[in-house]
Amino acid sequence: MADNTSRSSERRTDIETDGGVETDGGTVDYLDARVNIFKPSTPFMRDHLKIVWTMFAAWVLIVFGPVTATYLAPDLMTSITVLGFPLHYLLTATGAPLGALVLSFIYARKRDQLDEKYGIDHSTPKTTSDSGAVASDGGSEQ
Amino acid sequence: MMLTPLDLLPDALNASFKIVPAIMVTGMLLLFLGIGYAFRVADTDDLWVAGRSIGNVENGMAIGANWMSAASYLGMAALIALSGYYGLAFVIGWSTGYFVLLIFMAAQMRRFGKYTAPDFVGDRFNSDTARAIGALTTILIGFVYSVGQARGMGLVGIYVFGGDYTTMVVLMMAITVGYLALSGMLGATKNMAVQYVILIVAFLAGLYAVGFTQGYSTFAPQIEYGALLSSLSSEFTEPFSSSSYYLWIATAFSLIVGTCGLPHVLVRFYTVESERTARWSTVWGLFFICLLYLSAPAFAAFGTDLYANNVGQVYGANGMSGAEGDVIVVLASQLANLPTWFVGLVAAGGIAAAIATTAGLFIAASSAAAHDIYTNIINPDATQRQQLIIGRLTIIALGAIVTVTALNPPALVGELVALAFSLAGLVLFPMFFLGLWWENANREGALAGMTTGLLIWTAAVFNELIFATDAGPVVPLYADIFPAVGAALAGTPIVFAVTIGVSLVTDEPPERIKRIVRQCHSPEPMGQQQSAEDVVSASNGPVSGDD
Repeated sequence: MADNTSRSSERRTDIETDGGVETDGGTVDYLDARVNIFKPSTPFMRDHLKIVWTMFAAWVLIVFGPVTATYLAPDLMTSITVLGFPLHYLLTATGAPLGALVLSFIYARKRDQLDEKYGIDHSTPKTTSDSGAVASDGGSEQ
Repeated sequence: MMLTPLDLLPDALNASFKIVPAIMVTGMLLLFLGIGYAFRVADTDDLWVAGRSIGNVENGMAIGANWMSAASYLGMAALIALSGYYGLAFVIGWSTGYFVLLIFMAAQMRRFGKYTAPDFVGDRFNSDTARAIGALTTILIGFVYSVGQARGMGLVGIYVFGGDYTTMVVLMMAITVGYLALSGMLGATKNMAVQYVILIVAFLAGLYAVGFTQGYSTFAPQIEYGALLSSLSSEFTEPFSSSSYYLWIATAFSLIVGTCGLPHVLVRFYTVESERTARWSTVWGLFFICLLYLSAPAFAAFGTDLYANNVGQVYGANGMSGAEGDVIVVLASQLANLPTWFVGLVAAGGIAAAIATTAGLFIAASSAAAHDIYTNIINPDATQRQQLIIGRLTIIALGAIVTVTALNPPALVGELVALAFSLAGLVLFPMFFLGLWWENANREGALAGMTTGLLIWTAAVFNELIFATDAGPVVPLYADIFPAVGAALAGTPIVFAVTIGVSLVTDEPPERIKRIVRQCHSPEPMGQQQSAEDVVSASNGPVSGDD
């Protein structure tokens, strides 16, 4: 049975959230922090959700933007030609999937940086997660 | 468009027994069986979640192979060729949805860490009824989705082995079921990486060869096909000619939320080492998927042009049939006069794609039956051996039903698969999303929401496919708002509203459940074999005073 002593003991003290009001002084018990996607209750959730929502907005634009533009201005979108493609076709067929891929990569990078900021280490050795783990593999090259 | 009667023989395809392709495909199938046998499993942890030992790239490939079914390999190009700009809604829906899955669900699912998707529903909402609805939906999804795969395998099999459609469907399904009943999830996961390599190599090799020999492209067909578009019939690029803007958005939306609700996709996150692996393997998975999805429109463009030049009109009454569209990837290679063994390779890739996905779906369905229905509801003392037997029986039974249905499928491969997505998007996605992101979502809300979702979907399918006549759907207005392939656009918000509304007027879920949800969002690392529930029950000491 894995003991979960890693909580609070090695929580870093440098979690200054930007402008957060209720910062719990760096010792958060996440099991007591309410979960509501619109009301993040801890500095970590606030930071995380900020990334999530920003990226989600970008995704909506990339995915539904071209088709909506084509609906609103069909002549313009179909008459512009880029690389032989009508613009609407290029943005939909190539732009959206590639855009989502790039956004995914950026998100995973940002989330790794967030882990680093909060001193989270995922290199859990097997089952017994001891508390001596240090955030050593913040790298994201894989 | 889903009402066009399907003729089941692709006329332009050279259907006859071909010795070299037959050896290639047989060899490939033997390889799958061999890998499945080498990694055969005897305990349920391995059968369902591969011992939670899978790494980044391997899981990424498994996500890719699991994902890229006959619908991607064959159906995508078919939809683009046959329905033009509307087909791109499928490209978008089946690729960009992974981003939503990544930012909202992948890591949290891994932290929740149970065995199956219905497990999540049952445990999160603390209800065996919810678990049962989740399990039945999983089985239904597996069924609808696999019918498309069986159709794809059957059509491609005709090219390789000749024979008729019926024989091929039966033969291919028998092989799939046999291999699955032997190997289970670990074998299937090991196989998926191999299957991904085969299918992507075959697809890209086919695309490059067709593009190069026909003078369409040199090194980047994914971009170079643009130059060809202006010479194709205007149906290929013209927006909203065969379908409305609403249908386009509805389809894309349904496929996106369906991606986030598909049990066989979500279970891939239970198989990885850690939540960080869950995230990065999603990125890898999307990368592998994009390789194919950026290429499929190019293949469709090449195929359409070759068809127009060699066979006849693509669009209109005597145009390309649905069956021809569904094998356009193989057809294009054949029309480009590539050597027979090479066309066989492209065909083999299609079969690999269909088998990999059917495997994933059947495992999700069999674990739903064995683990969620049998063990959790019917016989709580079930031994592992009993569970394995039930799981295998489910695989065999499901295989038989899918085979029978696939003999006379009601739609194109891609459309059939899209139906499964709108079901997942309506019934399971709202439960996963609210279950993970709103701790007050409760049992009554989940039951009401899932029932609503099931009703909307069933009504759409009956209205548009089963009871529809040649004149069209039974209730045209309903089909306009809830088209069967895109019912989630209008339906999912309704399911959300019902779930939230009912949750608000009933009691809040117990504190223990709330703590499990919170654990899913905590940044603290967890042990490899731990689930959120383990952590919560381990720490149930004094509830630390709420600030």
